[in-house]
Amino acid sequence: MFTTGSKMFVGATVLSVVAAIVFAAATGGAVGLMSTVGLVTAAVIFTFLAGINLFTRDGNTPSMEQGIEHTAAAAQPPVGRSMWPLIAALGVGGLAVGAVSKPVVFKVSLFVLFAAIVEWMVQSWSERASADIRYNANLRNRMLNGIEFPILGTIGAGGVIYAFSRVMLAANPDAGRWIFIFIGAAIIAGAFLFASGRVSSKRTVAGVCAISAVVLLGVGVASALQGQRTVHPHPTVDDASQKALCLEGGEEEVDERASQDVSLKSNVVANIYLREGGELVAVINGYPDEAHEITVPRNAHIGVIFHNDSDEPERLTGRFGSFPDKPEAVSCTTAVHPGKSAYLGFQIPKTNLASSTPLEFIVPGLDGASIPIVVP
Amino acid sequence: MTFLTRRRLAGSAVAAATVLAGCAKDAPQDTFKPKGSNARTIDDLQRPLFYVAGAVGLIVFAAIGYSILRYKDRGQDMPKQTHGKTWLEVLLTVIPALILVGVGIPTVAAVFELADQKSECVVNVTGQQWWWEYDYSGTCGGVEITEPIVTSGELVIPTNTSVLLRITSRDVIHSYWIPALNGKRDAVPGRLQTLRLEADEPGIYVGQCTEFCGLSHARMRQAAVALNPADFQAWVDNQLEAYADNAPEADTLAAKGESTFIASCSRCHQVNELVKKDGTPVLAEPDLWVVSGAAPNLTNLMTRTAIGGWTFDLLTEDCREQLWNASPEEFGSLYLQGVWMNTDADADKPVCFDEATLRDWLRDAPAMKPNYSDPAKLDSTGGRTRGMPNLHLNETQIDELIAYLLERK
Ligand code: HEC
Ligand SMILES: [Cu+2]
Repeated sequence: MFTTGSKMFVGATVLSVVAAIVFAAATGGAVGLMSTVGLVTAAVIFTFLAGINLFTRDGNTPSMEQGIEHTAAAAQPPVGRSMWPLIAALGVGGLAVGAVSKPVVFKVSLFVLFAAIVEWMVQSWSERASADIRYNANLRNRMLNGIEFPILGTIGAGGVIYAFSRVMLAANPDAGRWIFIFIGAAIIAGAFLFASGRVSSKRTVAGVCAISAVVLLGVGVASALQGQRTVHPHPTVDDASQKALCLEGGEEEVDERASQDVSLKSNVVANIYLREGGELVAVINGYPDEAHEITVPRNAHIGVIFHNDSDEPERLTGRFGSFPDKPEAVSCTTAVHPGKSAYLGFQIPKTNLASSTPLEFIVPGLDGASIPIVVP
Repeated sequence: MTFLTRRRLAGSAVAAATVLAGCAKDAPQDTFKPKGSNARTIDDLQRPLFYVAGAVGLIVFAAIGYSILRYKDRGQDMPKQTHGKTWLEVLLTVIPALILVGVGIPTVAAVFELADQKSECVVNVTGQQWWWEYDYSGTCGGVEITEPIVTSGELVIPTNTSVLLRITSRDVIHSYWIPALNGKRDAVPGRLQTLRLEADEPGIYVGQCTEFCGLSHARMRQAAVALNPADFQAWVDNQLEAYADNAPEADTLAAKGESTFIASCSRCHQVNELVKKDGTPVLAEPDLWVVSGAAPNLTNLMTRTAIGGWTFDLLTEDCREQLWNASPEEFGSLYLQGVWMNTDADADKPVCFDEATLRDWLRDAPAMKPNYSDPAKLDSTGGRTRGMPNLHLNETQIDELIAYLLERK
């Protein structure tokens, strides 16, 4: 009664129903619920597919015909050999290797195994779908290409991106710039040649692409082995010395790139300027005049930008209060060159009334440069 | 009835329902009814656009309909097939391009106009799961705000004053929107974005958080209340009134309420200038108890008309109707009376006060507003809740608290 193709789906249906029941009974909580929902969904899908298969009887076999069970396409032995068992075996081997070495090997093997099983099943089913080999191959493609193409495409694009990123990480910054320019130019030139019809052979294009891919992968692997170039981090003040430095000032750790920290510039509560005369003023987002006090909501992440308009490197320090059982919270920018600016982010958990020390912005070493912070 | 006629019937029913849905009468969040200059800028842009797009849509549908009916398959011969018609293609490229340029210029102009930050009042607006907090300082429309004012749910602004909101969030992304006054602005943690509001007339303009922000997103509403400058001054004066002026008299129910409040509520909720028996200030520490690190300031609770993310009314239904439908002239004085609207001077309880709602809230807030405050599920947040937990108060305590909170006006 069951047609060949539907057997697989009927089996999968039964399996997922049983799995859903076992899971629902054995695992509670949100995880259990989600998994059960997932398994039930799978069961519904498999039922649907099994139903379609049953309905179409794996093709167009007239079910009332005598002896059709021997002559029908589905009854014919499979043609050719399949590489999928081999790949599946590789996957199983990989699982074992992965179990004792790296988790990533295990995961990749799991994926390979799963893919191989699916491919294998669909292939052997499609090979029996009819006596026409071309038709069978078509059937297989119709079933699987929809999944294969996006996955292979993703893997391919991922490989290219990964390899390219390794190259860029290994190359020094100046070389990187030229590599980018060269590759971009080459792609545009190639595209132009292709579009203008000067190169029309598909094989040439495919060949060039394939060679580029291989070269990219090769260089990528080589770069990955060579490792990343040393990236010089922005100078920062380390925790232990931070507080003293913030409160007493000093020119150590001048941040050469402070003014390049642009990401949050348009979303700050205030721009704080150190004027040439040593006066500290705030231009608060939204207020027309300069302000000498800043009100910020409590317990929200807030940012300010410090602009150093004086002639010396200076830092902006925020004194963010001493709340019960905690030392005073202090934080500062690194020293900023004259004419440059830097971002300082902070969060004050309680009202300033609860602090035993004042809340304010200061420039260490400059008396009188201070802007009180009010936290209602 | 044949299948076809039935299908046609169903089709027209759906179409009619869709069209009629656009005709809701009581729709305070209608984007086509601007009540202030910023919203009008948007409306002046979108209305002509809507008409142009509507006309284009009608023409396209008419053309499609005509072609379908006129040329449907009646067994006639295949018509001659043609390809390409340069003048037509040029025309069909140029006309949309011109329309888009025509639309683009005023759009860009409006975008820049709306992004302008000049204002006569700045209010910090901070979103969290699932309510909005406002804090005022500096001057607002010429009114001096000597101490910061912190309120929730209801944003009070002076009319005909450009008010700049500086919007941020304490937890996840929310979005602030008062459709009658301006477009939306996302509240993003770590960022501070601005939005200007300006209302022509006194009144209440409602809105709703428009970025899905978790369990009680649907109960995260807000309103802007516009008062004329004199009423706004009165509102500010009242907000800044010393606690001593409203402090409960000794041995009253409200005085018991104050102690209960200090014992059970003040760890989260601030009441400004509230002091303990020994005279030390009572300072809330919501950072220790609530995930967002904030709970509404209750100093002037009774000056609001709704609580809990502006979802549950403090006003009874009749009084709310009265307030919402009040003329611009009488709106301000009604609003400033709050729950004491329509109440005789010697009455001991305000007639407009929806006591049942506040009682329910105090008895079991999570039952009204789902908020993950079940103690069994607070491991991941270190015991902190995402809203007001059920505090298991008894009815006596609730009586006392209500008496106390009624005086927070
Ligand atoms: C664990 C902290 C916490 C405690 C304790 C607490 N609350 Fe709340 N309360 C909140 C939070 C958070 C909200 C905001 C909830 C919302 O809108 O989703 C709130 C909201 C309220 C509101 C509505 C305010 C408004 O403007 O929307 C009132 C009234 C209130 N609480 C009263 C009380 C009283 C009275 C007590 C003491 C019995 C109390 N709360 C104890 C956290 C707390
Ligand atoms: Cu929200």
